[in-house]
Amino acid sequence: MSAAAGGPARPGAAWALPGALFFLVFAVVPLLLVGYLSLTSWEGLGAPRFTGAQNWVRLAGDPVMRQAVVLSAALTAATWLVQTPISLLLGVWAAGPQRNRAVLSAVFFTPLLFSSAAVAIVWKTLLDPNFGPITRVGPWLGLPDANVLGSSAGAFLAVVFVSAWQFIPLHTLIYQGGARQIPAVLYGAAEIDGAGRFRRFWHVTLPQLRHTITTSSVLMVVGALTYFETVLILTQGGPGTDTSIVPYLMYRVGFAGYEMGYASAIAATLVVAATGVSLLLVRFTGFAAMRSTREGM
Amino acid sequence: MRRPAPARAGTARPARRRPRAPRRPNWLAGTGALLWLLVVGLPVYVLLVASVRPREGYLSEGPLTPPADPTLDNYVGAVRNGFLTFVANTAVVTVAVAALVVVLAVPVGYAVVRARGRWAGGVLRFFLLGLAIPAQAVVIPVYLIIRELGLYDTLAAIILPTAAFALPVCVLILTGSMRDISEDLYEAMALDGAGSVRTFLRLVVPLSRPGIATVATYASLQAWNGLLFPLILTQSRDQRVITLGLFEFQGQYRVDIPGMLAAVALSAVPILILYLVARRSLVNGLMGVGGK
Amino acid sequence: MVNFKRRAVFAAATALAVLALTGCGAGSGDDAMDVWMYQDSLNVVQQAAVDRFNAEHGPDVTATMVEVPGDGYEDRLRTVMGSDDQPDVFFNWGGGGIRPYVEAGTLLPLDDLLADDPELRDAFLPAVLQAGQVDGVQYGIPLRGTQPVLLFYNREVFAEAGAEPPRTWEDVLDLVEVFQEAGVTPFALAGATPWTEQMWLQYLVDRYGGPEVFARIQSGDHEGWRDPAVLRAAETVRDLVERGAFGDNFGSVSYTEGAASALLAQGRAAMHLMGAWEYSTQLADAPAFAESGLGYVPFPAMPGGAGDPANLVGNPTNFFSVTADSPHTEHALAFLRTTADEEYVRDMVANGEVPTTADAAEHFADAPDPEYAEFQYELVQRAPSFTLSWDQALPPSVAAPMHTEIQRLFNGQSTPERFTDALAALR
Repeated sequence: MSAAAGGPARPGAAWALPGALFFLVFAVVPLLLVGYLSLTSWEGLGAPRFTGAQNWVRLAGDPVMRQAVVLSAALTAATWLVQTPISLLLGVWAAGPQRNRAVLSAVFFTPLLFSSAAVAIVWKTLLDPNFGPITRVGPWLGLPDANVLGSSAGAFLAVVFVSAWQFIPLHTLIYQGGARQIPAVLYGAAEIDGAGRFRRFWHVTLPQLRHTITTSSVLMVVGALTYFETVLILTQGGPGTDTSIVPYLMYRVGFAGYEMGYASAIAATLVVAATGVSLLLVRFTGFAAMRSTREGM
Repeated sequence: MRRPAPARAGTARPARRRPRAPRRPNWLAGTGALLWLLVVGLPVYVLLVASVRPREGYLSEGPLTPPADPTLDNYVGAVRNGFLTFVANTAVVTVAVAALVVVLAVPVGYAVVRARGRWAGGVLRFFLLGLAIPAQAVVIPVYLIIRELGLYDTLAAIILPTAAFALPVCVLILTGSMRDISEDLYEAMALDGAGSVRTFLRLVVPLSRPGIATVATYASLQAWNGLLFPLILTQSRDQRVITLGLFEFQGQYRVDIPGMLAAVALSAVPILILYLVARRSLVNGLMGVGGK
Repeated sequence: MVNFKRRAVFAAATALAVLALTGCGAGSGDDAMDVWMYQDSLNVVQQAAVDRFNAEHGPDVTATMVEVPGDGYEDRLRTVMGSDDQPDVFFNWGGGGIRPYVEAGTLLPLDDLLADDPELRDAFLPAVLQAGQVDGVQYGIPLRGTQPVLLFYNREVFAEAGAEPPRTWEDVLDLVEVFQEAGVTPFALAGATPWTEQMWLQYLVDRYGGPEVFARIQSGDHEGWRDPAVLRAAETVRDLVERGAFGDNFGSVSYTEGAASALLAQGRAAMHLMGAWEYSTQLADAPAFAESGLGYVPFPAMPGGAGDPANLVGNPTNFFSVTADSPHTEHALAFLRTTADEEYVRDMVANGEVPTTADAAEHFADAPDPEYAEFQYELVQRAPSFTLSWDQALPPSVAAPMHTEIQRLFNGQSTPERFTDALAALR
């Protein structure tokens, strides 16, 4: 199909077909199946048995599920509140020209070498209340008995901290990339106006980074909804159920309690919440459109 | 392409740099950075030191003191436990996911950006719907589907759903970078008499290279990092990937913490090598995940 | 640019080839017989049995032992049992744990095996063999030694404190005080792993109310959790925790990393309530301590309690079951027979286990600690009742949330009253 007269050739729908089909089979169909399975009772063996809204009625009255939703929301909020300022500041700082920053940056980014599972295992060892370094460091931090993972607040903060440790380097890198693209002219102009360092940061850097902040925040929110490895290895949802966030609860119910139907209802809730977040993000941040309007940045 | 790759901005366009001369050192930021250095560096130090400690030394020597009698036994032990198989499996999974995603997502991006007609926007929205949906949510039906396909306990069982769930973000990144290709270039191709296939191969793909690198990096990260799919969808030792290997080492090593930490340290080596070999495209790829 | 395109094409081709290859590898294992084991230090016995089996049955079939690590065993088993990659032979605890598989028709009844081979049937203690039945049909053959839960203690720590191991609950409370003053944690407890906490509750319920209390619960009567014995047991747990019997950071200690056992071996804890396998664990991790420093007594008596102090809780034994769809059922049954072989029994004894075969006592002279073997064997023979671990006796959908509730009780996130209410509400 050569395009002689009618302008540039336009791709037909066939171009999108393989990708769309693949996505349909391995992502959309499973999503629909989650909906169907949530209406069944299925123990993982044999065929699912249709039970109507039974799982949903149970879900609505399940205090553990309510707790999981609160925990997931709290984890998302805490993740954003901890990771954004630190990676923003570190990223802007690392974008600077000094030579020693390059060396320091190399150390900063070492957590990126490790998978979530590896990071969680290392921290579990570090936080071991009898044999880990926490027994030496704990007293300085006001934790004489080093009981971090065994206390509700401690375990939750440990999950927040460990994921921050793991992901801040990535977001630092993103901010570093963003900060490097801020035209120097803007800083020059601000300096002529007599703006100090703080005001330059506030009036030049931050506004210029607003798209980067959006993207990084999107990744953080989406990431926090899917934290699983850290909880599985570090706290196993404990103590009790005090770090059982929604994805982990789904795993426990489905693959330890074998109530796959009920687990699907939990998963469906996660899907609905995540779709809601997706739609909000796409609509209110202009996330989708943003990338096409890069001109002039 | 109007946008230079981020890392090049510093060297290729010195004019855009911030002024260097008249600044006093930023003590506050420096202190903060040092503090973070400690937070990052200390655990890594403990990890490395513990991994060369003899097993008996771990409980008696302090966690921060250098080992009195360093040994590589723990690493040898990890390799004996089949760690190299896990590395090979992870490599297969990672490469396959990245390749699959690139092969599928690039044409989709092209179609979305260049096609006429309303369906193109529909396709984008179809993918974007999955943007925030965690793969965890569908692990039960995926388990069911993989089981029905007879793929349980194969690497393909990990590859297929991982790739599918990486697609939305990848399509989004690619459409972004493809929109930056100017209309003039398309018209030039049309003047050459190029059809959509040639336009795609000669214009779109080459000019989307940064986007493709980003997408490949992102997809690789997902594949490299995943634990849930391997945990649920594979079983046998010879299909085990690194993350699952580490997870299972946990129970296996019992009080042998140095042995376990050696396995953890070893798990970082492939990425480290990749980083040394392809530092620039890796860093650019990661920066690209954040868009601008 | 062209170069890049080539590379992309190459990568794509590789990916597809990989997919094709891995896809083809799916239905593997025609002459491989998979034997699934829960991974721990006792598996040397089964590994030796597998090796002997392969030497004998040679190339027509090769048995492979698949060791599944620690706490994930049952989850993994369930996932694989739903697939067509089922193991041929697998380790289990009998009881409620295998009932779903029986109901789904995935297990091979073993009645014929025992009927055809009376020698095999008579090799095991009848009560133990019976625990491998579901609704009167035999599905499991005992594969391990008996595993009652015992109170282990560090002899050296006791000698230094001039203390004697506890016989009654008053002794326990006295010892808590003694060791706290000496700066030693009275009881090591891996509170991040709830089944270790479950052992305490199980014994306390049994000592207060006898085995009938749990038998009623196991039969499906949820109100059984409201038995006063359960409440008193829960109150006793809280009392122990508040007295500092487990130290103040037990909630962060996890069992699978071996921390609790290490605490006992190092003398940082005085006692550890654990299954009989603790001996083999210590033998592997701290051999010197296992040989001279490790003491053991039955769980103390509860004055005024209705339960016989000779009652035991734990795992009467573990079982091998065979999947009905296995292409190797004949060989699998042949493998099961080897669990009564003299070599097998001797290996178990040498590894510190107490076999459930009728002739076990003949081999005790070869045990690393004949006294320990004798002690356990007598304990099991004298016990009027031997209650299976709650999490194994109950269906998994109840066992998982029960673990959570137990952990919450120990951590003080729940009260004894709320604990019993929560358990009674589980279905």
